[in-house]
Amino acid sequence: MGGIRTAGDLVARMQMAKGMKIKEAKEYVAGKLGISTFELCDEAVMQEIRESLDIGHVQARDGASIGIQAKFNIAKLLGIDIRSVENFKRLTGLK
Amino acid sequence: MSEFYTRYGDGSPTRVSADEMRRDLEVGTNDAADRGKIPALSQSELDHLFDICTRPDKTVSVERGNEVVVTFDAGTLKLPIRAGVPMDRSSAILTHERAFCSDTMELAHVDYSYKQLKAIIHEETAAMEHVQLNTIIPIFYGAMPNLGLYTKPDGPIENWSELLPLAKISEAKAAQEEAMEHAIKDMVYVASRMYEAGADGINFDTVGASGDADVLASLKAVEILKNKYPDIAIEFGMSGEFILGMHGDLFFDGKRLAGLYPHQQVKVAEKAGATIFGAVINTNSSRTFAWNLARTVTFVKACTEAASIPVHVNVGMGVGAIPNSNTPAVDAVSRADKALVEIGKADGL
Amino acid sequence: MSIEDIFLEARETILQCDQERAVRLAERALAEGYDPVEVISSGFSYGIRQMGELFGRGEVFLPQLIMSSEVMKAAVQILDAAIIQGETTQYKGTIVIATVEGDVHDIGKGIVVSLLKTQGIQVYDMGRDVSTVKIIEKALEVKADIIGTSALLTTTLMSQKKLEDELRKNGLRDQFKTMVGGAPATQRWADRIGADAYAEDAAEAVTKALLLLNRT
Ligand code: B12
Repeated sequence: MGGIRTAGDLVARMQMAKGMKIKEAKEYVAGKLGISTFELCDEAVMQEIRESLDIGHVQARDGASIGIQAKFNIAKLLGIDIRSVENFKRLTGLK
Repeated sequence: MSEFYTRYGDGSPTRVSADEMRRDLEVGTNDAADRGKIPALSQSELDHLFDICTRPDKTVSVERGNEVVVTFDAGTLKLPIRAGVPMDRSSAILTHERAFCSDTMELAHVDYSYKQLKAIIHEETAAMEHVQLNTIIPIFYGAMPNLGLYTKPDGPIENWSELLPLAKISEAKAAQEEAMEHAIKDMVYVASRMYEAGADGINFDTVGASGDADVLASLKAVEILKNKYPDIAIEFGMSGEFILGMHGDLFFDGKRLAGLYPHQQVKVAEKAGATIFGAVINTNSSRTFAWNLARTVTFVKACTEAASIPVHVNVGMGVGAIPNSNTPAVDAVSRADKALVEIGKADGL
Repeated sequence: MSIEDIFLEARETILQCDQERAVRLAERALAEGYDPVEVISSGFSYGIRQMGELFGRGEVFLPQLIMSSEVMKAAVQILDAAIIQGETTQYKGTIVIATVEGDVHDIGKGIVVSLLKTQGIQVYDMGRDVSTVKIIEKALEVKADIIGTSALLTTTLMSQKKLEDELRKNGLRDQFKTMVGGAPATQRWADRIGADAYAEDAAEAVTKALLLLNRT
């Protein structure tokens, strides 16, 4: 689907977290992003969204979330627990 | 008569006429229908396949809106090991995330079997923890159940591959049952540790490579893991289009495992608690790409229709209609991908 | 009993793994004066090839295949004894078979070996990951008629070509027939490297081996 260039990682997360089939997973993510499922794979649309939600993008810019930081935001956005994020919270006393 | 450039299942190029192509598509779908006892493709689906196979474009793609996600097996074995690029595994994963833009990726060790990983589990969990700090995309940890490794000379159990030819059938069956106990323990142990270290998913890759006992052990491991960690994501990737009956009398959920085809395999995987099912259909090197593609799509369609969980079709060398060659041609690969998604209704690859 | 009935029942005993009935049938066929070669080839062998095909479709499983080959062996032993009057160890030919170097896939080769053995062929199974040199040495040692190689990886397939090249280089090519198999091998591949036969599955491997030995 295009990974972090588009919404590929997010749709994959929903398949993994909830066992959703592709259609349902795309609808879920599109709903959270407020766009159509068609736009999930559009680089231009997604670049803007990813940057504004700060959920990580291919460009390594200063000040933008990467790695675990981006995943914090993804977990909140999608309403799922991400194991590594939970581990981070536990190890840093955030939880 | 117009001639179309296509290939055989071993990748070698050839030209066929429209009639030959149509005939191969039909024979291919009928072969799957006959073996799997499933419906053959309809005429309009065959026409769609014909169109995909005969387009003049070198590569083809799914229509906009039909994109699907991809998962990998043997993820970090690809760049550093098979391609010989001197990079470590976390660089390989970041290359996939930031340059290839993969939807997911898999951390894997060269010694790709659950049994072998026990001894190096701390190094592997550390690698997973490190990788998770730097990555955004979901990262699986994967390995093979590889039941054969528990037999002599690699393990403690009598080797059923040696017992069977000697017609020591009950001994061979007992050996397989014994190996299962060890394999289940190792799979549960390694998967638990990797999940706790932050893996987004666990991949059971090449399930059934040692036959039906290999499948049963994997199903039981999934069941245990799912009870232990209700949120764990498990991909259950098969090794072949039907489960090889090395034992023959093993059952899960009342179903005999030996001889199950993808649309039946997915139901047992689902029952055990798998999150994603990895369907495999073998490529026949001697037949044409059209024959292999029609056959594969027929099996996949039956499988996705039966499934309540997402199905990711295995499209590696020699499976999923991909030619069995070291450098599968992109014309064939892109056509297989399109057909599997648009007609087979795959949820991922 | 008509010869057709004998054929049918012979196939059935194999498909049902019924050794007692198979042995009785073999004895009866001999007593009624039928040609043992025909009883084997159109009866029992036909049955075992059917079993091989069913196995290839996931409809019968390895233990049954092995059991049916045991049944086959028992019946053939009786018929063979009549063919060569008492000399039960006369083989139709000798084959050396191995999975090529660098390749550990031996499940398919094992099935080929089991079926070949049911056909009165002497089989030297060298196992897996075997170098070309060792294969040739063994073939010379046992004066093999056929050398069979199995390769399951596209990377190890080249060893089948290497075998042909080595045989030719050493002036040994005419001493043996060669047969190739394994998922990436094809008839086109066999033609290209100059192998004498290719078989897609174990049932066909038997047919091709017998053809190479002129014993169909
Ligand atoms: C089982 C298996 C394994 C087992 C092998 C166990 C064993 N003791 O054999 C294990 C887990 C060890 C394994 C390891 C690997 N495997 Co593997 N494995 C398979 C698998 C799932 C099934 C093969 C099989 O047994 N088929 C069933 C038998 C009955 O069929 P068959 O072998 O084709 O045999 C029939 C015919 O070919 C013919 N025949 C066979 N031999 C002969 C010989 C003669 C003379 C004749 C005439 C006929 C003949 O008759 C047989 C009976 O009908 C295939 C995928 C698949 N579904 O095919 C992958 C597959 C072959 N493996 C593959 C790979 C990549 C590997 C590994 C490199 C993976 C890794 N990273 O570790 C290693 C390589 C190890 C090595 N150096 O060899 C790839 C090969 C791709 C390629 N480009 O070549 C495949 C296709 C899977 C895939 N698409 O990724 N594997």
